[in-house]
Formats: sequence, structure tokens, C-alpha cells
Amino acid sequence: MKPLKDAQLGAFTFFILKTITHPRLCQYVDISRGKHERLIVVAEHYETSMSDLQKQGKPTSPERVMQIAYEVLEGLEFMNKHGMVHRALSAHNVLMDCKENVKLAKFGFYHMTDHGADVDFPIGYPSYLAPEVIAQGSFHPSDPLRDEAPLPSGPKSDIWSLGVLLFELCAGRRLLHNIDLSERLKFILNLGCMDDIVTVLAEEHGCLDAIKDLPQNVLELLRKCLTFLPSKRPTPTQLLSDPVFSGVSCLYTPFQKPVRLFSSSLRCAHLELPEDISDICNDDDDNFLSERTIEEVYYLWCLAGGDLEKELINKEIIQSKPPICTLPNFLLDDTTVTLSLCQLRNRLKDVAGEAYYPLLEDEQSSMPQSNSSNELSTTVTLPLIIRERDTEYQLIRIVLFDRLLKAYPYKKNLVCKEARVDIPPLVRGLAWAALLGIEGDIQNKYDTIDKDTPIPTDRQIEVDIPRCHQYDELLSSPQGHIKFRRVLKAWVVSHPDLVYWQGLDSLCAPFLYLNFNNEALAYACMSAFIPKYLYNFFLKDNSHVIQEYLTVFSQMIAFHDPELSNHLNEIGFIPDLYAIPWFLTMFTHVFPLHKIFHLWDTLLLGNSSFPFCIGVAILQQLRDRLLANGFNECILLFSDLPEINIQACVRKSIELFHCTPKSATYRQHAQPPKGAGDNGYVSSKTMTYSSTDYQNLSRADLCREPLPLSDLKAEVSPRISAEDLIDHCGLSLVGLNKRSKVGKFKIIAVDIRGAEDFNRGHISGSINIPSSTAFSPEGELVQCPTTGVLQNYRGRVIVVMSNVMKSATTFAAHLVKLNFPRVCILDGGINKLKLTGLLTVPSPQI
Amino acid sequence: MKKNKGKSGDADEKEFVFEFRAGKHNCVLKVPLKFPVHENVSDLHGRLMLLHKIPCYIENELKTSLSNFIESETILDYDREAELALQKLTTGDVDVNQLTNAWTRSYMETTLEHARPEEPSWDEDFADVYHELIHSPASETLLNLEHNYFVSISELISERDMEIKKLLERQAAEMKKVMHELGNTLCDQDVNTVAAQHFKARQVLESKWTSELKQVTCIQKQEYQEWVVKLHQDLQKSNNSSKINEEIKVQPSQLSEPTDSGSRMFEEQPQLEESFTIHLGAQLKTMHNLRLVRADVLNFCKHRRHGSGGEKLRRLQTALSLYSSSLCGLVLLVDNRVTSYSGIKRDFAIVAKECTDFHFPCLEEQLEEVQQVVLYARAQRSSKQKEQPGQEIPKNGGDEKNKNVERNPSNILPGEFYISRHSNLSEVHAVFHLCVDDNVRLGNITARDPAIMGLRNILKVCCTHDITTITIPLLLVHDMSDEMTIPWCLKRAELVFKCVKGFMMEMASWDGGISRTVQFLVPQTISEEMFYQLSTLLPQIFRVSSTLTLTSNTDG
Repeated sequence: MKPLKDAQLGAFTFFILKTITHPRLCQYVDISRGKHERLIVVAEHYETSMSDLQKQGKPTSPERVMQIAYEVLEGLEFMNKHGMVHRALSAHNVLMDCKENVKLAKFGFYHMTDHGADVDFPIGYPSYLAPEVIAQGSFHPSDPLRDEAPLPSGPKSDIWSLGVLLFELCAGRRLLHNIDLSERLKFILNLGCMDDIVTVLAEEHGCLDAIKDLPQNVLELLRKCLTFLPSKRPTPTQLLSDPVFSGVSCLYTPFQKPVRLFSSSLRCAHLELPEDISDICNDDDDNFLSERTIEEVYYLWCLAGGDLEKELINKEIIQSKPPICTLPNFLLDDTTVTLSLCQLRNRLKDVAGEAYYPLLEDEQSSMPQSNSSNELSTTVTLPLIIRERDTEYQLIRIVLFDRLLKAYPYKKNLVCKEARVDIPPLVRGLAWAALLGIEGDIQNKYDTIDKDTPIPTDRQIEVDIPRCHQYDELLSSPQGHIKFRRVLKAWVVSHPDLVYWQGLDSLCAPFLYLNFNNEALAYACMSAFIPKYLYNFFLKDNSHVIQEYLTVFSQMIAFHDPELSNHLNEIGFIPDLYAIPWFLTMFTHVFPLHKIFHLWDTLLLGNSSFPFCIGVAILQQLRDRLLANGFNECILLFSDLPEINIQACVRKSIELFHCTPKSATYRQHAQPPKGAGDNGYVSSKTMTYSSTDYQNLSRADLCREPLPLSDLKAEVSPRISAEDLIDHCGLSLVGLNKRSKVGKFKIIAVDIRGAEDFNRGHISGSINIPSSTAFSPEGELVQCPTTGVLQNYRGRVIVVMSNVMKSATTFAAHLVKLNFPRVCILDGGINKLKLTGLLTVPSPQI
Repeated sequence: MKKNKGKSGDADEKEFVFEFRAGKHNCVLKVPLKFPVHENVSDLHGRLMLLHKIPCYIENELKTSLSNFIESETILDYDREAELALQKLTTGDVDVNQLTNAWTRSYMETTLEHARPEEPSWDEDFADVYHELIHSPASETLLNLEHNYFVSISELISERDMEIKKLLERQAAEMKKVMHELGNTLCDQDVNTVAAQHFKARQVLESKWTSELKQVTCIQKQEYQEWVVKLHQDLQKSNNSSKINEEIKVQPSQLSEPTDSGSRMFEEQPQLEESFTIHLGAQLKTMHNLRLVRADVLNFCKHRRHGSGGEKLRRLQTALSLYSSSLCGLVLLVDNRVTSYSGIKRDFAIVAKECTDFHFPCLEEQLEEVQQVVLYARAQRSSKQKEQPGQEIPKNGGDEKNKNVERNPSNILPGEFYISRHSNLSEVHAVFHLCVDDNVRLGNITARDPAIMGLRNILKVCCTHDITTITIPLLLVHDMSDEMTIPWCLKRAELVFKCVKGFMMEMASWDGGISRTVQFLVPQTISEEMFYQLSTLLPQIFRVSSTLTLTSNTDG
């Protein structure tokens, strides 16, 4: 692997190149933008190339020539299918891998530079240029005569270059090597007047005999390639099926596109197991790293401290001049000075490879259940930031996730389980897709959506995209904007009942960033994410949904942090003023991408009420400042949210989530449940309540019932369902509770009915504080044994119940005023419990 | 299924024809396609399926036929274009020699393989040498040497000033005498003659001094550069560096002369200054430093004698970063002539000449060069304009201004700027001479004003050329006048603050958010009260970063 260095204007078409994979093409791996518009391209590379064959100085055997020709053509054909032309074919761009197979390097160069228009230097090598390419002229920026770039070249110009290359191989010497550049070009142009170009070339280079002696099919091939007129010259596709290759083509099997993770065809359809399994084991003697894909290796190389720019500087490829020397004297336009260094390569240090190789071996022996290894378990305890920088750890995680994802959806549960530990950044895109449960042939679905026809929302999308996460170079690139537009339009078009609200762009950003090369997956993820977390948020009239959401949020603040809630309510700093962008964009509008990733890694595991906890966690991080400030300062503070420690925020929100009764975040407008077990790990915490647990009660009876918005708004504390109360109080009907005990917390049930009612029947363990006598006129809690209990157990969940909801609400509001945390109200009051038979009459002595 | 080659009449649009059977009906789908086709074939296919409600059983058939059609037509287009180009050569429409020369030139100039090896340039070599030395123990010596040169120049200058002053006094006395006699023995004619004589004498004296100064600076520069190169060679030759170090250390004592703590010390008016640290960016935040300074603009340039409060350190700082990638820039507001005869330009030129520039050409030469470029660029631009008569110049497109340019092509327009490089100024490496007109003195300029756009372009240059500290005149004026009332100042300051904030946010996407320092300069004559009003305005516009509170339980 070597980086190939080119300095040029940013051409972000590169990212398409990354997706092009073919055994005859060198895989592109990465591009990085350095200072001053330098681009560094990282690609697969091999040591040997055709020029090594040439250096041997003797003709290559005709059979080998045919093989090479065939393999090059395979590569070219594949490129043409993707609308690309090589244009820079030359002896040192045709590489050989260790199995002596051809690999075309720099195949995307012409495409990447917008057919050479983006760079100052011409693309291609003089001796190999096809006549029509020369005739179309070169574009030179300082040339006042030509203002526009020459026309793009077609696939047939590569055939000419290939012809020259093959000729060189046959002749065993380089063509036109010693002639002056402009003479060389003239010579090529003059070939048009010749009848037999091959003979002319051979005569010119004094190798007529060698050429004459070539087998007929090789000569035929050379003639076909070196046809002067493009219209008579074959295309790669035509040439591949030409009879000259009849002896060679049978050796090759056509390339099969690897099946994508999400497609309708069977992924194992072409899987063939070798007859003897031990063959595989013998193979990997010492180099496990080479088994991994080049992306993974590169990623690890970077983690291991690789720095492209440094490497290049060390090898003196980037020769930067002190900036003061290059200051332009006068600027009329935004001229940029580009250093153009072309054709330089560099070798990476492969030291890093050995450093993490033994662990891989270790890893492979204990493949799918990796957590056993000792070293790993210590790393797991380290903060996420460190883990993400830890080469060995990442290697192991990547290998693990790679395996799990390959087995998706079969291993979906395991993916969820591992995702709770962390998600390696390299596979985050796919891992998220797995967590969101993407299935099916998404590419086909995406293709059938009309993303081109103008729609009324276009204008708004156009306005929003250039403002969305533009600090990121991927998303701010022209290519990024195009993809953004396409994905957003696809979503809007395919969801006719929903509309584009500002914020959707931010929501799209993380998916697009992670799946930059796979718009379909980005679209699919977004389409799965929105109904799960933002159900109906994008309705044309979404006010009822959002209002309910915000009300529940403010109840959650009161539930978890009454002091803060009291303060915010006092100064009138209600969630409507700051939290709408938080929830509408699931925090993507307020955090930079790298923080969003960490936040969403957890969010995607939670259910739709998890965002409330994140919101509360953010407020709690800013608690001191909020408490100290008045309305104006708070508005200012939130208009430009200060840095949030996202790790702490995630931890806090998980904590908050665990001590929130499930029904407290009940929303009338939430997504109707689809069925059991669809909520990731949350489902293990708050298991779906199957009605069989409570014999004669139907589930609906004990659930929360929808409230009108105005009533909901009037309540400070959340309501919880009788079901939750029963669950958490540990009450059950005669030992029939079979559920696991996870997720239980201490509850104090406060019965605020009059003592008389209380004595007539109440829940065991509940305390009686009659509302009529509980509070002094100043609003303080009147001292008495039962209120003492309440004080002592501060911090537990307090469930206020009454037979009149109104009084329970007021009572709870009073408690919140007194800064009692975790106050909630029993939905439906005591009456709901009457049916359960859980009310008991206490023994008289107490 | 039949493919129909489009009518050759329209080169760009071809019709794709697809026939299929649906039940008993023969259906024909005709799609006009623009060539070359830029859109994705799958997308196009999907759209066709949707739009024409094509039955799904021919989905794949349509797809292959569509992509085959596009492929073959594209190849045909390529062939046609290619052969057209070849034909032009044979018919002689395009000259072969010209063509090949163009190719050769672009190869020679841009690719390493064909280019001649880069000639070692004296400037860059000297830059390397100097950069190395200034970061070595020899820096002290270098600075002292520079300072000594500076002292000798300033002595010369003061001598010159004295002599000119004397001459002027003498001439004034003479003139007084003559005036006294006017009407008695002498007539107007005689007065004129005397005045002309005086003027001539003054010119002679001035030019004598100018040439002398020039000569001295030339000698100094040469001596200095030779000395630096020699010192570097010596240092490299000797392996025993400690010895050299001693040698170097001895030198300063010889060179340094008693600091004259007297007459020429600058009586500095209290310089007011306030610093802010800000965060910019909606999601990803970058930190920058802002400073509001009340000072004279030339304070950043003026060289002072060593010994006056940290002057030497400041000088060292500037010298150390001269060839680094964190340069300091200054925006100087000038009129539309590229000269140094009047106003602030003259003052600046005097300051720039007080000390020899050992690294870069002197200011006059640099301005000369700029002037050449301006003329060339104007010529280019007007020839472009003639070629495309329909188009107006988009930049600064006002007709009035264009007329102005036509009148004098050597002038520059408001919003344009030129850059001069200096190694001899106290705190600045690069000076942006931003052209402004009288509009900036009025109250009603907008964010689209050429001066503001000029600031934007300056900031862009800062990005591309590693200028990390830039000083900007906040009010876009260097001197205060009567019409600049308090409301005027506040309005102007707000505009500039807001615009600079916008530009800085834009810069983050150009260079990936490098932290920089922006100094806002207000004229010396502004009142203290006004200064504090401005310093309260700044944090309202820029979000000042709040203190980071570290608590023990936030283990990240």
C-alpha cells in the first residue's frame, strides 16, 4: 500500500471511486485534503509493474502478452461500465500483484479531475497518448488562446495506449523514448498517413524481425489496437469478445459482483466451500493482516499513528516553501497557487503491521465470542475516546463486527449486544443499519424513487444544505451537496404524508456521512430512524405531536431534577424555547458530527423515550449555569450551546433512563407498537408486558390512557400506569409474576386519600398522607411520622395516588415545589387498582 | 425491441425508442435523451418506470436496452468528436506545431518527469539559512547586527532631517527678506525666481540624501546577507559547535553600543487593549483570539531602539516567525494610487525605510512591481471584456468606477488590495494595502461595500498563506474626524464586527478551522469611553467562550 500523491483542486468525485472494486483495478482507499488544496490519494499498490518487464530488455512471450492484454481489457471494460476512462495508461500504471495478475493503477485519475479540467497538468503520458487525444489539444491555464478544457476522451483512446504498451512488450523496448517531446507527438499524429502502423513502428525502432515473428493473433491484436481512426478502433468490450482471444478467454471466469449486504438475492448462493477445509488453515501461515480488506488495514494504519502528510514531507515530496515567499503581490481575483507534483509515490512504513499482528491470530482462534480475552476486557473499561484510538482494540472489534454483520440479520441480537460496548467507527454505517433493522433490496427501492423531477420543497432544501454541518469537508463538497439533495428528495417524495421541515437536513447528515458511498443505505437508515424516534414529527401540522413531546419533556425535568425545573419554570424558560431543535433533529443540529455518532450509538439502542433522558442529561450538565442565571442569560446560553461532554451525557442519560418508569414517558402520539421485542436492549430492561402475566386483567386496563393536551400541560409530574406501579412495588398476584427482576427500583406509594378511605383498603407498603392536612399554608410539608418517611426516602420514586386525579396532581406539584425528585402520579388513581384486588386492609395495630 | 438511432439533426438530443408487448398491445416508449448523459442510468430507468407506468415484467429488459443505447451512442459521439479533431489537423485548421508545442509546454511546466530541475533560488536558500540561524544561539547576534544597522540608518536619517531643516530655515529667512523688499527693489518676478531656486536647492539636497540612503541600505543588505550565509557555512563546517557558540556570544558585546536612553525614546500614549477568546461555529466550534486595541496603526510597524520595554523581544518574535507558517499581517487603508507620496502611505514608507529590509526588496521596488501587475491585469481584463461585450465585469460592476479605470488604468479600485512583504517592521510581516474611497467616511456603508469585500478577500489570503494574526482597522479609518460621532462609530464597529465574524466562519471551511488572532484597531484619538463602549459591543456580537468548569466526576 502506498499513497499516491497529487496536488490539485478538490475534486470530490473521488468518493465514487472508492466503491469501484474489481480484481483488475487497484482499490482506492482514501483521500485526504492537506493544507493549500493539496490532495493525497491513498490506493492499493504493488511493487512490480509492466515497466519492470520492459527493463529486462527482452521481448515478453506472446502468450503472456495475450494474457496481459486480456486482463487489462477486463479492467478497462469494467471501468467503462461505470462511465470511466483511464486515459493515463502506461507501463508503470499496469501493475502486477503477487499472483502475476494485472492491476490497473490510477484508473480514477482522469475521472477524479473532471477529465483533467481541475488540474494544471495534462493527464496521460506522451508516448502513450492516442492521436485523437493529442489532436483535441491540451488545456493550459496560462494559455490565453484556449479558455475551455478539451473534450473528454472516450474509452477507445485507452485501446490505443494499450496497443502501444503491448507493442513495447513484444518488442522488448520502449517506444519513441529518445525523441524530443513535441517530435514524439508529431510522430504519433503523422501515423495517420501510414497504412500499416505496426510495421512502421517496428521499422522505426529496428525490431521489424521480432514483430514479424509474432504469432498471428498477437499481430492481429496489435493492429486492432493501433488503429488510427477511433471509429475503426474497437472498444474494450468489443475487443474482449474478439476471436483473437479465443485461446485466452477460456482461462478467465467473468467477474461476479460481490453481493451486497442488503439485496434481494441470496448471499450464500455462490459460496463454495473448498473440498478440504485444511487447505484454508494451511494458507494463513504468518500474515493474518493480509486477509483483512485494504480499508481496514488503512484505517488501522492511521490509528497506529500514520500521517500521510508527514510521510510525504519526510520523503521530500511535499516541498513547502515558507509561506511568506509565496505571498502574491496583487490579488485581483481569488487565484490559487497550486503546487503540482505528479507521479510521485511513496512507501509507507509497514512497521505498524507487525505491532498488532499477534492479536489478530489470538482473535481468530476465539472468533465470535471475543470478550474472553483478558487484555480486551481491560481496554473495555477505558473511555471510549481512548478505545477508538487503540489500534489493537479496534482491530479486534472490527474483525468481530465484520463477522457479525456478515451474518446479519441472523446475528442481529449479537450486534445489538456488542453495540452496547461500543461500535468501531469504521463499520458504524453498517452497524447502525443493523440496529435500525434495515432489510431488503434497498438499492432497488432507492433507484425507483424519482429524485430528479422538481418538487416545491426543492427551494428550501437548496437553502438548507449549504448550512448543514459544513465544517465537514465531505458534507461541504459539491458532491456532498448533490448526495444530500438526492437523499432528502427521495425521502420527501417517498413519504407523501409527511413534509420537509427544516431540521431534516441535519437529521440526514450523520447517515449520509457514514454511508457517503451508499445513498440507498443512507436513505434507508433515515427512513427507518424517523418513524422510530420522530414518529409524525414531520407532519404538515405537527404542533400537537411536538407540544405533547415537549410537555412530557418538561415533566421529565421535574421528575429528575425538581430544583432545576422549578427554577426554569420560574423564569419562564420553557422547553419550547430551546428543545424543539434538539428533538426535531435528535440533537444533530446542536452537536458536531463526532459527538452525534457517540450519542446515537447509544440512542439507537434505546427506545423512543430515550431522547428525553438525553435532554435531561444535557440540562443537568449545564445545571449550575442555568440555576445561576435569569431568562435572558439562559436564552443566550442556549442560542449557542456550550461544549457538552458527550460521554458524560450518554452515561447520565442511561442512568436516567433506568430510573424512569416506562409509562412515565407515555405519549399519545407515539408510534403505535409494532410488536414485541423491537426495542434493542431496552426490551431486556423493560420487557414488554405480556398480558398473561396478570391473569384476569387485560393489559389495556392498567396502561396509561390518553390525556387531552391541555390537561397534560397542567400537570407538573408525569403519570405512571398502574402496571408500572404494580411491577415496581413488587406486588403480584400470588406468585404468578414470572418476569425477571431487572430494572426495579424502590418506590414509595403515597396514598393521599383521607385516613378513612385509606383504612378501607390500600396497597401494601403505601403510606398515607391525607392531602387535606399534608401542607402548611406556607406550602411546607407538615411534620408527622408519615411525612418523615417521605423525607427519609428522598430520591426514591414517589407515586402519588388518590381517587381524585386533581388532588393527586396538586399534591405532586407541591412535592416538586419542595424539590422532591422523582414524583409521579398514578394514572387513573386508586380506582384502577380496585379491580386488581391488590388493595389490602391493614392489621389494626399499625 | 429495436433501437433507433436519433436523427442526426440535433447533436445533443437523441431519442431512445423501446417497443414492448403488453397483452395484445404493441407499445412504444420514446424518450428524448440529452447527450452526453450525466445522470445515473438506474435513476433514469426508475423514473421511466414510474412515469410511464411500465409493467414490471419488462423492467430488466428496459434497463439493458437503455444502458446499451446510451453506451453505444456515447461511443459514437466520442468517435465523432475525436475524428473531427483529427480532421482539423489534416485540413490544416489547427497548426500541428502549435498544438504539439502547447502539449510540450504543459508537460514541461507541470510534470516533474519532464520539467527541468527547479533552479535553486537565492531567496529560498537565504530563507532557509536565516530560518535556521534565527532558531539557533546566533539569533542574538543577528538581532544585534540588525539593530546596529538600524541605528546607523536612523542616525543618517536624523542627520538628513537636520540638514533639511537647516536649509528650510535658511530659505525661510531669505524669503522673508525678499518679501520685505517686495515692491521696493524687487518685483514679483524676483520672488518667483528665489522660490524656484529654493525649491531646486531643496530637491537637490533631498535627492542627494535619498541616493545616499539607498546606497547605504544596499551596502548594508549585501553585507548582511553575505555575513549570514558565511556564518551559516561556518556553523555547518565546524563540528565543534560550542566553540562557535562562544565566538558568537562574544560578538554581541562588541557590537552592542551603549543604549542611549534619552531623547528619542518614544513617549507612548497609553495604549488601550482588551483581549477576548471566542468560539465560532454552530456545531463544531473553533477557538480564536480577538483583541481590541487603541493605537496608531504605525505602532505595529515602527522600529524602536532596543532597551525600550520589550522591544527586542518583540523584534525577536517577528524574526523567528518570518519564515514560519504563522505570519502577522496588517491592513492599511490607502487611496487608489499605488504610490507612497501622501498621507498614511507616506508615513508608512518613512517607517519602512527607517530600517533596511535585509530579506525583501525595498518598498519602492515592491510597489513598482505591483504597479506593473495592475497595468497588466487591467489590460487583460479589458481585452477579455471586449471579447465578450455582452458581459459586464461582475466585480465592483459600477459603471462610474469602470470609467474611472479607463481614465487611469494604473489606479486600483476600492476593495482591491496589494500586499507588500517586510522583514524590518516591528510586529508585521505582510501589509495589505486595501484601497478605500471616501464612502467609508460616510455612515451608510453596507456589508456589500467594496471595502468590506476587500476584507473578506484579505482574510482569504490569510487562509491560503498562513497568516495567523491579522490587524484590521475596526472603523475602516485611520484618523478620526468631526463627522465620526459616537453613534457613527458604534454603527461602523458593529458592521465590521459582524462581517468579520461571518468571514471567519467562512474561513473555517477553507482551512479546516485553524485558530487565529484578529486584532481590531481603533484610532489613537478615540476617547477612552468610546473604547470601552466598543469593548462591550464585541462580546455581544462574538460569542465569548465561557470558562470551562472542570468537575471531578466528569471523567471523559
